[in-house]
Amino acid sequence: MATLVPPPATTPEASKPTVIEPEKVDYLNLPCPIPYEEIHREALISLKPELFEGMRFDFTKGLSPKFSLSHSVFMGPTEIPSQSSETIKIPTAHYEFGANFIDPKLMLFGRVLTDGRVNARLKCDLSENLTLKANAQLTNEPHMSHGMVNFDYKGKDYRTQFQLGNGALFGASYIQSVTPHLSLGGEVFWAGQHRKSGIGYAARYNTDKMVATGQVASTGMVALGYVQKVSEKVTLASDFMYNYMSGDVTASFGYDYILRQCRLRGKIDSNGCTSAFLEERLSMGLNFILSAEIDHRKKDYKFGFGLTVGE
Amino acid sequence: MASQSGKRLSLSRSNSSGSEGIISRVSSTVSQSPIVYRGKRAASDAAYVTKRLMKSTGKAAWIAGTTFLILVLPLIVEMDREQQLNELELQQASLLGAPPVGSTPKDFFSVKGGG
Repeated sequence: MATLVPPPATTPEASKPTVIEPEKVDYLNLPCPIPYEEIHREALISLKPELFEGMRFDFTKGLSPKFSLSHSVFMGPTEIPSQSSETIKIPTAHYEFGANFIDPKLMLFGRVLTDGRVNARLKCDLSENLTLKANAQLTNEPHMSHGMVNFDYKGKDYRTQFQLGNGALFGASYIQSVTPHLSLGGEVFWAGQHRKSGIGYAARYNTDKMVATGQVASTGMVALGYVQKVSEKVTLASDFMYNYMSGDVTASFGYDYILRQCRLRGKIDSNGCTSAFLEERLSMGLNFILSAEIDHRKKDYKFGFGLTVGE
Repeated sequence: MASQSGKRLSLSRSNSSGSEGIISRVSSTVSQSPIVYRGKRAASDAAYVTKRLMKSTGKAAWIAGTTFLILVLPLIVEMDREQQLNELELQQASLLGAPPVGSTPKDFFSVKGGG
């Protein structure tokens, strides 16, 4: 009885030539929207892969179904932020040790780097609708450690989040489904240390073939995104970013191919920056990664390769 | 260059105006004529424009070529691999003599067992 025969599609009523009526929307049973901070999720996945320069090796070993250890080695140049237009790169190498505990109710992630950075994440379901998320980053440099706690409440057709961070950072966001496809949301935040506050709005329209998003914030940021699923394997994405304060405008266009043996993501943007990210599956649990990024204007070329074992 | 040769010619003329060869006279009229001057100007301008054009075309070709190398070439390679894999699978299926889709033996058994 492993394979049940699917019931034949019964459409005797639909076959009648009837006038197509506009679908009655049940506004009391709207779907739950996705979290406010993730409204650009699809565009980000297709357009912003984890590009890197150098060599990386990741190894994950599961000790039990819930507990796993990860080791990763990275070697290559890393950019140092500087005032001048030319980027300064210094060669670095580090090893990262991580431990993960994954349970449907509780998730714990820890990462330790050889240069002394510690990263910890926690996700815990306090009740059926209330989730606690915490994130901490500790470094040996002063004033560079961060900590943040989020409380997410998931309603029937809305989500709300309250955020607390170090440096007197407070934030709250709310997103509500308005129609089965459209959801609207807003956020406020206040950073006490920098004496800054802001407000933002976002809208998201999604069907199973496309996603369109728009977001504005009082920091001067305008972000628009559009993702179209062309077929089962191909997704095309584009986004537009505008910052009113600095006057930066960037538009980018990318593709995302998910084939049987590989996943290939390519992107080109209006700054003349081209990038591609290829994940090739060599065998079960063994992935080969190639990353390329060329910026003609800055004459900055980044190429990387890596190997991921286990997952 | 034209002005320099003109100067030299005028100097030689002032020194010995009587003993002037016919060749130098012809050459001076040729080199001093405005047509030659304009021709030279036009040639140098054309050379400059061509050089700039070649340079910018070369740069554009370089950018287009590298972009193609990054964005399109991996896509072509991977699509080709995918197609080869599909073909291989199809070939194997036909070699093994797979039954038509929808009525695999497994399905048949489960239906029989269920009934």
